[in-house]
Formats: sequence, structure tokens, C-alpha cells
Amino acid sequence: MSIEINEEYFEKLALTVIDGEEEECIKLVNDGLEAGVDPLDAVEKGLARGIDKVGEDFGAGIIFLPELAMAADVMKQGTAILDERIKEVGSTRLSHGKIIIGTIKGDIHDIGKSVVAAVLQANGYDVVDIGIDIDIDTFIDAVKEHDADALGMSTLLTLPLMEMENVIKRMQEIGMRDKVKVIVGGCPVTQEFADEIGADAVGFDAQDAVFKLDRLLGINRPRKSA
Amino acid sequence: MKGFDGKLVGSVHPITRDECEMVHDAAIRVLEQGGVRCDDKRAAKMFEDVGCKLENNRELVKIPEKVVMDALAKCPSSFTLHGRNDPTRDCSIGTGEVHFCTVTGRYIDDIHTGERRKVTRQDAIDGTLMADALENVHGLYKPVMWLYDEEMICNSQILTTEWMKHTNKPGTWVYNTGAEHEVSDLIKMWQIAAGGEEEMRLKPHMLGHVVVNPPRVIDVHYTDWLIGFCDSGTPLSIESALMGGATGPATRAGMLVQCMVEIYSLVVQSQSYKPGHPLAFCSFSPAMDMRTGLWATGTPEYGINGGGIAAMAKYHNIPVVGFGMSDSCEFDQQTAHEKALKNYNYALAGLSWIIDLGGTAGFNLVSWPEMVLENEMAAYIGEYLKGIQVDEERLSVDTILKVGPLPGSYMKEKHTRKWFREEFYMPELNNKEFFESWQRGHVELQEKAKQKALSILDNHQSPVAVEIQQELDSYLDFCMQRDLG
Repeated sequence: MSIEINEEYFEKLALTVIDGEEEECIKLVNDGLEAGVDPLDAVEKGLARGIDKVGEDFGAGIIFLPELAMAADVMKQGTAILDERIKEVGSTRLSHGKIIIGTIKGDIHDIGKSVVAAVLQANGYDVVDIGIDIDIDTFIDAVKEHDADALGMSTLLTLPLMEMENVIKRMQEIGMRDKVKVIVGGCPVTQEFADEIGADAVGFDAQDAVFKLDRLLGINRPRKSA
Repeated sequence: MKGFDGKLVGSVHPITRDECEMVHDAAIRVLEQGGVRCDDKRAAKMFEDVGCKLENNRELVKIPEKVVMDALAKCPSSFTLHGRNDPTRDCSIGTGEVHFCTVTGRYIDDIHTGERRKVTRQDAIDGTLMADALENVHGLYKPVMWLYDEEMICNSQILTTEWMKHTNKPGTWVYNTGAEHEVSDLIKMWQIAAGGEEEMRLKPHMLGHVVVNPPRVIDVHYTDWLIGFCDSGTPLSIESALMGGATGPATRAGMLVQCMVEIYSLVVQSQSYKPGHPLAFCSFSPAMDMRTGLWATGTPEYGINGGGIAAMAKYHNIPVVGFGMSDSCEFDQQTAHEKALKNYNYALAGLSWIIDLGGTAGFNLVSWPEMVLENEMAAYIGEYLKGIQVDEERLSVDTILKVGPLPGSYMKEKHTRKWFREEFYMPELNNKEFFESWQRGHVELQEKAKQKALSILDNHQSPVAVEIQQELDSYLDFCMQRDLG
């Protein structure tokens, strides 16, 4: 039996994100598409509303990282299905921007980068997490493939820091640097270092990364505190 | 140096012996059914050699219980971290003594200016001299995390040179920058400091940390270190670096199970490579802070996990050590209570080597006055560990009968004179003044600590022989020439 596309449907869709219910989300998205929902509406009135609420609750200290990460994941799964349909109808979805994120070559620390990815997603960014131990070519190829607005690089170690500089140099060499913002982060990364290698910003923690990326990409959103 | 050895050491654990068995069984189930991923071919061979099953193109190691138990049976129940050319600095690990060790950081509260700034080479020297001088600091972790005023290439070598040049106390090492020659260079420097390769093999003075990459990955870097440590005779500290809720489960029991899975796998790896090589289980597994994603290093679950690891160490008759730490970003009440509670908990659980003095903010900040204050905290813990010693003379019945009832006083009794220094603790810095006297005028505790630290920095000289210092400098020159030209 086909479902009815109405306010209740969008609310249910938002709730799947808030509750981190991946299977339920995918089912509702597919049922919705079958019933003729406008895929843009499904994202903006459903999934995005859910993730906005999650971002708000995280900021207010009501929910914590595991809930936020699960919600971001559900959002990603649902959006992936809907994006296909949006492309088919030649439309585009609103996003604050697309960011490629990864841990630099020589380092396999995953958690810090994954936390930043989840918080960025929950704040309306399209995040492509390309993993750990990522070399220059993989970063560059990912930026090209996804036509990204920004690149985020992370490390917990000192020696791989130099690799960040090499990625930025390569971006300059191939004329990519002016078109893509670069944000760096991780324990040994200081503002001085970021300035020295020509990065646009340092995210000292996940919320700071959102703040800095918003500033770099010209996103204005209400903030509770400076 | 003799550690604190009171009757309460090793007396309190967060799990019972029956529960240890449950944790052990659970860890074995994981090792037998899921195993560990092995990213290093040499490591895979070590596991294979003792009967582990390699799957998935030799990248997955399944470890049967018998292999774990055989490996554990090969481990000595104690070992000594020696003072370098100074037996008075020897620390006995696994024999019921608790030793305290300094911790590291990237920033320092400058003792002269009060400014918070990045650490430098001079700070590495100062931190080492501070630790060398303080009476309850038994050993050192790297005095600072990195040297921000030096090149990153050779950074560990410069740091180690200054460290080895300014103290004879034993130390503890976790890999630093991942630089190409780090393992061989540092081991060479430790050998120079010990007076030679054979001297270090006979009297190891460093505790070498080897970590499993959680969840359940044996990696290349730490295998490099494991081989270097074993070849040079350096005892191992083996640990999981899991974060509960991120790279480990979100229950305390689950965290302990995964810690033991990872610790057991390193026991098997090391005992396959070098049977009988001394090692200690190590506590290094906090939960993740669920708001920031950072290590929550000052929280109870971290200390409790360390107590659980100590219980498992006792269950297998293996020494146990651990990292302390606080999350506070300054030296305040939070630092004080997080450290005091965790370290006392650690000492009660029987950790032989507690790495925590002089730093806070999750391995980010050090301070020399704070090292002085925590030197006194260590003394408090040592006193608590003594408990109450009960024997005929201490029961004091004759004296009690002699003095009381009022108006008798114990103050002039020989029994009092004989015992009060041993039975009562008299802190050097903490306030004991009467309230009104204190109100009229006093020196703040922080200021007292600062003055003591300044006095050490002004007066304390390195105990390391000049020839050894020169040899260390020469080797550093070689490293710098090789790597920097």
C-alpha cells in the first residue's frame, strides 16, 4: 500500500535521523519515492530538519557524539538515495558545501577526523571521509572527483605534518588551491604551522572546524555564543 | 629508588578473582573467534611460530587460549628498571613497590614569566633536572613532548640526548615522531647512557611501551619498537590505547575485555620473538568524552580500568604499570582531585610504575611547580599505602595505661618521641598553620612550590658523568649530520 506524502511523512523522516534509525530511514525514503515524493522535499523538509534538530541538541548538550554520529550516518544514507533521484530530474540540493576529509599519509589515527566529519555533517555539510593514511594523489583526486569546496587534513603525529604542506603545494601547482579552501587539524597543528604551510584555517576541535569552515565558505547561521 | 611499599599496595581491585576469570574467558573468545588484524609480516610470522592460525592472506591472527597461557607462563613476575650507573636509583617492578614517574606535555607554564608557551629544548633540560632532584620522582617519561625550537627531523634524538645527559633515574618511552632512524638512534643513546650495549642488556633502564592500535590491530611502527626493545634487553610495557565508546566498547567490562585481548596479543607476539622477555601490563585506556571526542583522561572509568588491568595482572602474576593524567587545562582543583584519586586507586591496585607527575590537560601541559606539588601528592599516597601496622609496641597499651586518664599527656613520652616521625606524615609544603595565623600572613602553596622549583633549577647539577654526556653529544652530532646535512 502506497504511503501518503504529507507533513506527517516528513516528520517521520526527520525522526529517523534524530533517532539514528537507518533501516527505517531507507524504507521511508524508498516508500516515499514510490509514492511520488519530490526528492528535494524529502531532503529539505525531512532529513535536513532532522539533522538540524540533532545539531541543535548536540550544541545544547542534550545529546552526545554517538547519537550525533549515528544521525549523520543515517542522513548520509538517506541523502545518497535521494541524490540519485535529484540528479535524474536535473535539480540540485542545497548544501553548505562539500568537504573532503582524511588523515594524512603516515598516520592511521581515525577518531579525531571522524568526529569532525560527523559534526560537519550534522551542521549541513556534505562530507566525504576518505579515511586514514591518505597520500597526496588520493586527496587531490577526491577533491576533483567530488568537485569539493574544501579539503580537511588531520594528523596526531608530527612528521606527517610535512605531508600537509606537500598536498597544498600540489594544489598550487595544478591550479586547484584558489578554488578549494584548506582546513587542517590534529594535536600538533598550531595556527603558526597552518599559516606557514598556507592553509586557510585550523580547526582546534570539531565545533571550531564548523565555525572556521562557515567563515571560509561564507555560511551565516545563528550562533548561541562567540 | 625504593618505591612506596605499604601493606595496602595491591589490596583493592574493582573486580573479583571470579570476575577476572570471566574477563579472561571473554578475551579468549574474542582472540579465538575474531583474532587480531596484523599489518606487519614480521609480526605475523611471530604469531605463526607459536601456533596461531593466520587467515585472510596472513593478515588476521586467531590466537588459541593455550598459546596465550604458554606465553604468559614465560613472562617473569618482576624485573628491575635500573638507575644508569647508579644502583640507588633502581626501581623494582612487580614486587609490591609503587613508583612515580613524570609525564609530558606540549606546552609549559613558564616558571619565570607565567606565560603559557610551547616547550623548547631548554625545557627538556629543566624538566629532567627537576625530576632528578625531587625525592618522590622515581623515574621519567619524556620531559616534554617535542622540542618546538628544533627541527622535527632528529627531534626525538635531541630530546633524548638532553634527557640522558641530565639524570640517572630510569625512564619510560612511547614512540614519538615516527622518524626513520628513531628506534635505532634512541636505543643507541640509551646504551651510551648505560655505559654500553651489554651494560644496558644486563641493567635495562628504560621501560619500552608497545601499543596495539585499537580495535585489534598489530601495526608496523610498534612492531619496529617491540623488536628494538627486545633486542636491546629493554623491558616492555604493553597496552591497549583504546578509547571507550570510540575504539573500544562503551561498558567498563567491555573495555577491560578488549584491553586484555590486545594485551594478550602483545604477550604472545613478544614471547614468541623473545621467550622470557620481561614485560608489564599497562593501563592507558580512557573513555572518549562524548561531547568533544577527546580522551577523557581524568575520569573515574580510566582509573577503574587501570584497576581492572591490575587485577588481571595479579591473576596472571605479571607486573602492572600505568599512565595517570587529568583533563583540566590548568593546574587547579580539578587536576588535584583527578590525579590524587586516580593515583591512589592505581597504587591500591598495585601498579608498580605510575606515569603522571607534573603535567595535565591530556598530555598537553607541564609545569615545574606542579611537579613539586605532585611530588608531595606522591608522598601522601605513600603514607596512605602504609595503612596501620599492628604489633605489640605500636598497640601502645603500656603507654596508654601509663598516661591516662587526664591530666596525662603523651607529648613528653619516650614512646611518642620514638614513633611520631615514622607514624605521622609531615608535609613539606602543604599548610598546617593555625587559621588565624595563616590569615595574618602566609605564602600561597603555589608560590612555595614555585620557590622550591626555582631553587632546584638554580642549584641542581646533572649527576651524569661528563664522558657520557660528551659521547651522547657526539652521537647526536652524527644523527644531525646524517639527517640534516
